[in-house]
Amino acid sequence: MKEQFEPNVVAFLCNWCSYAGADLAGTSRIQYPSNLNVIRVMCSGRVNPLFVINALQQGADGVLISGCHPGDCHYMEGNFYARRRFTLMKELLEYVGVDSRRFNMSWVSASEGSKWKDVVQGVVEKAKEAGPFEQFRRNKINW
Amino acid sequence: MVDLEKLKNVARETVSRDDVKYLIGWRQGTYGFRVSPHFVKEPDEAEKLIFSPLCTNNLATYLVLTERLPLLRGEQPDSRKVALMVKGCDSRAVVQQLIEQGINRESVFIIGCPCEGVIDLKKVEEKFSNQPGPVQARWSNGKIVFHLPDGDKEVPKGEVLAAKCLSCRYPNPVITDLMLWEEVQTRGSDEYEDVKELEAKSPQERWLFWEDKFSSCIRCYSCRNVCPMCYCEDCVLDRLNPAWVFRSNNISENTAFQLARAFHLAGRCIECGECERVCPVGIPLTKLNRKLAKEVKEKYEYIPGLDPESKPLQSSYRPDDKEDFIL
Repeated sequence: MKEQFEPNVVAFLCNWCSYAGADLAGTSRIQYPSNLNVIRVMCSGRVNPLFVINALQQGADGVLISGCHPGDCHYMEGNFYARRRFTLMKELLEYVGVDSRRFNMSWVSASEGSKWKDVVQGVVEKAKEAGPFEQFRRNKINW
Repeated sequence: MVDLEKLKNVARETVSRDDVKYLIGWRQGTYGFRVSPHFVKEPDEAEKLIFSPLCTNNLATYLVLTERLPLLRGEQPDSRKVALMVKGCDSRAVVQQLIEQGINRESVFIIGCPCEGVIDLKKVEEKFSNQPGPVQARWSNGKIVFHLPDGDKEVPKGEVLAAKCLSCRYPNPVITDLMLWEEVQTRGSDEYEDVKELEAKSPQERWLFWEDKFSSCIRCYSCRNVCPMCYCEDCVLDRLNPAWVFRSNNISENTAFQLARAFHLAGRCIECGECERVCPVGIPLTKLNRKLAKEVKEKYEYIPGLDPESKPLQSSYRPDDKEDFIL
């Protein structure tokens, strides 16, 4: 029997909103896919676009960046910068031929446990459709 | 019209000034259609300066690539100006450096050379094969005249001009302290046709295209070194801890390098095309940079390198920026 493909999604969550939102989803016992590898960062503005490239190189099939809603940033303006940055990053990735379903961004606040569930379900579903990422994955070297 | 005598006189005067360290211009190369940068430190060295369709080099790179040695105790930093000869595209690089505060306005003296378009060396060498001796060229009534050993050859501009010059929007320097001759006519508009052509293909086709190009990259970093906008003292590509991009030469690392390089120029690239010119394996890097330039223009109505007072794109924001893809 062929095993179903389970995507590996790397999620960068901001400490103040999305991480707390995911935490709320957990404490509220909301069920959502477990394909997510969460990395907590202090702000979505801290996420370097090279993190995304690096994640894809090191075995991610999808990437999610999540932060506070615009205007709600703990650092006042971090997510505005992140928005510009990743809008351009998404265009660039699409332009070189990376499936547009692999790169996602969302605004999830600390009180949106159910929105978090929807976001994760959507992202994992999209990564599943896109299939395993092989375009520029780093090959493991056997010394 | 290009007036070489005036250029040399201006250069002599400029270099003799007390507050000018040296002048950077162009001189004839040692062979073929090549031109090399010329650093004029003494007035009599100005004799070698040229300005012709062969002057492709973007000299703005040398403003930011100067070696800054640590000062001895009690030593004052050299605050004299650097005089720089710029074409239209080079001047935008200078403006962008000013925007990013890579240089101070007081530390440069900008000599503007309105330009009717420079050649693409590959196209010219294809036409006239390799010339052992140095060849000169000049503009003449919408054509380019090459002074070859076996007589002058007139070539229509369209056949030898670099791609960036055919759709040049800024042939006249946008910032100058001194304009050498009258401004030339703008040649037209830029609709990003080459980018749109690639965008119209499917993602698989696009990846096949770029995979082919990126896998030929030899990671010489020429594109980074020649770029007037790449002047970080601590470049991510050189970092070992953390190693953002490994040094092994394979499609994974090459793609990561190319994406990182292109992204670092998002909203900063002034499309001078130097990266593509120096690429030894012929990767169409401007196609990558121009994609981002197009997005920046469409999404944020921002054109880098025009207004020295503006803020850099990625360190500014508007609360109503588009966010249609964000969940």
